Amino acid sequence: MNIFVLNCGSSSVKYKLYDMENELVLAEGRVERVGQDNAVITHQSTGKEKVSKTMPILEHTTAIQESLNLLTHPEHGVLKSVEEIDAVGHRVVHGGESFSDSVLINERTKEILDSLAGLAPLHNPANVTGIRAAEKIMPNVPQVAVFDTAFHSTIPPHAYLYAIPYKVYQRHKVRRYGFHGTSHKYVSQRAAELMGRNIEDVKIISCHLGNGASIAAVDGGKSVDTSMGFTPLEGLMMGTRSGDIDPGAVFYIMKEEDLSLQQIDSMLNKHSGLYGIAGVSDMRDIEREIANDDKLATLAFAMYEYRIRKYVGSYVAAMNGVDAIVFTAGIGENTPSLRTALCANLSYLGIEIDEEKNKIRGEDVEISTPDSKVKVFVIPTDEELVIARDTAKIV
Amino acid sequence: MDIRKIAVLGAGRLGRGIAECAASKGYEVVLFSQGAGGQDALRRIEKSLDRKLAKWGITESEKRLVLGRISYTLDLKELSKADLLIEATVDHFYTKQELLRTADHLCRPEVVFISTTSTLKVSELARRINRTGQLVGLHFIPPVPEVPVAELVRGTHTDENAVEVAKQFATRLGKEIVEIQESPGLVNPRSLAVLINEAAYMIDEGVCDAQQAELIIKESWGMTQGPLEMADRLGLDLVLNWMEQLQEEFGPRYAPCPLIRRYVRQRRLGVKTRQGFLAYTEDDALVTKDEGEQED
Repeated sequence: MNIFVLNCGSSSVKYKLYDMENELVLAEGRVERVGQDNAVITHQSTGKEKVSKTMPILEHTTAIQESLNLLTHPEHGVLKSVEEIDAVGHRVVHGGESFSDSVLINERTKEILDSLAGLAPLHNPANVTGIRAAEKIMPNVPQVAVFDTAFHSTIPPHAYLYAIPYKVYQRHKVRRYGFHGTSHKYVSQRAAELMGRNIEDVKIISCHLGNGASIAAVDGGKSVDTSMGFTPLEGLMMGTRSGDIDPGAVFYIMKEEDLSLQQIDSMLNKHSGLYGIAGVSDMRDIEREIANDDKLATLAFAMYEYRIRKYVGSYVAAMNGVDAIVFTAGIGENTPSLRTALCANLSYLGIEIDEEKNKIRGEDVEISTPDSKVKVFVIPTDEELVIARDTAKIV
Repeated sequence: MDIRKIAVLGAGRLGRGIAECAASKGYEVVLFSQGAGGQDALRRIEKSLDRKLAKWGITESEKRLVLGRISYTLDLKELSKADLLIEATVDHFYTKQELLRTADHLCRPEVVFISTTSTLKVSELARRINRTGQLVGLHFIPPVPEVPVAELVRGTHTDENAVEVAKQFATRLGKEIVEIQESPGLVNPRSLAVLINEAAYMIDEGVCDAQQAELIIKESWGMTQGPLEMADRLGLDLVLNWMEQLQEEFGPRYAPCPLIRRYVRQRRLGVKTRQGFLAYTEDDALVTKDEGEQED
């Protein structure tokens, strides 16, 4: 079964084609600058040369059509025709309370997705545009929506509700939804496999640390809490996002700096986090500046590690224990110094890491010592594979 | 037709605001101006973006992206490449008419024209061009990037497709469109003119000074800018021009207060001369009461 996985952003389309017999990636690519004359499409079929071209791609339908042209290209492609695609799996950021699992897309699904646009205005409309574009090109191929929020639908009300008037939740569905669900799901399942244990029997804390970052408490394979909330702004300190902040401070800043809602929103989402403290948002730059003895970079790193540590501690309490901690995504996978600093501060849990293993990159690796009471893993995430698996399961 | 490149005729406050707002929404903008200060337009747009950056409203890369999408030219032949034309010049009938006729010859026939006029009739302007049905009145209210509403009027012969194009454009700029009947002064300038005029009379009569009038009106009605700052930012010469046209149309109730005439004669025109009803710094910021002059 061939599954075509699509991740449509407002000006980009990423895709992967899987053969689900062996879960093999047959091809992958991305289209960037959709909507412009100089859009760039990059494509690589497994075992073949990477190709890239610049051309006008004004909307998502053309972007998807161009990617399918490359998939069926006699030289660069892997398919004889588009008809060899059995199903399409779409990444959809927000499923609200309507979708607690992946679903087959029909007219009703699209109506509900349209109604959820306000919950993720930057992402959901682009995801739905991608769904409509794919349907137009492949009208007879089943389409499945896989939601970033779905994995967190098992979080209980006492953890997902904010302590604000209940009516606000009833009227506007303001609550914790959580994000990065497909990633947390993948790495927690993989960690259980690596431990040789049934996922239903283990408590895992999954740390997805990319430019956006979140932590999830996964008990028995189910998410029971996560750091991102109603929006991806809550929780950990991130590249340019503040993470947790006293709401009272927000009101005070708005008043003192005479800021509008748009300006404070932009400040907290785009000018804060590592960037806000150290002036750079990339962890590699932070590490470089620390090596140059930059005080603010050192402070930013310490704040970043401390926030993660606090969440790990609180999720140990939330689950009444932990069997494994997993690191994934850009920073989680590629910053051994962060893992070292964090784990050194978690010695009360009996965590010990093997510094040699901690340096290994690009593969699933257990970095804790055999004596460590809590296993620690680095597992490169694979959200597209989760989407492909869910799609195959549904169709 | 897919609209990507828009031409803005006029690099005054309105034209610059439309250019900045459109570029921030992804349009490629060509700004045309033959008037004084046109050359300065890009620098003033950059200044406006710098103010947003200082308030964390945008990032440095967003600022560069927006500026990269705006170009300035004196060459009207460039109009042939535009997908949409927006006329944002001062409300002088013959000037606008000549400009629209020139643009009519240079733009592709399917291109829709938008006029931002607030005191002239779209039907009258449309009569002088070949694309009579493709001229729509769309009054953006300055500061354009911030004000979330725009007034739309159609002329007698404006066709539905042109209205739809204008609505789609304004919606993408984040504006709520309110369609009203064609009438000089529309809703915003007509009601603002009365407010400015009445405040000017109170100052002239010695009821209060400009700062007092501004404070009471602004704070009691929850405005982000009071009418006197609005007038200064528009330019008192423009405000006077509005009032004279409204007086011509509706009679003496729009007769400009003598104080406004006096200020215009003294070239005390508002932000652009650093002094109008209120005083302004080199960076166009309002001088606070302690710093400013206290006359009137």
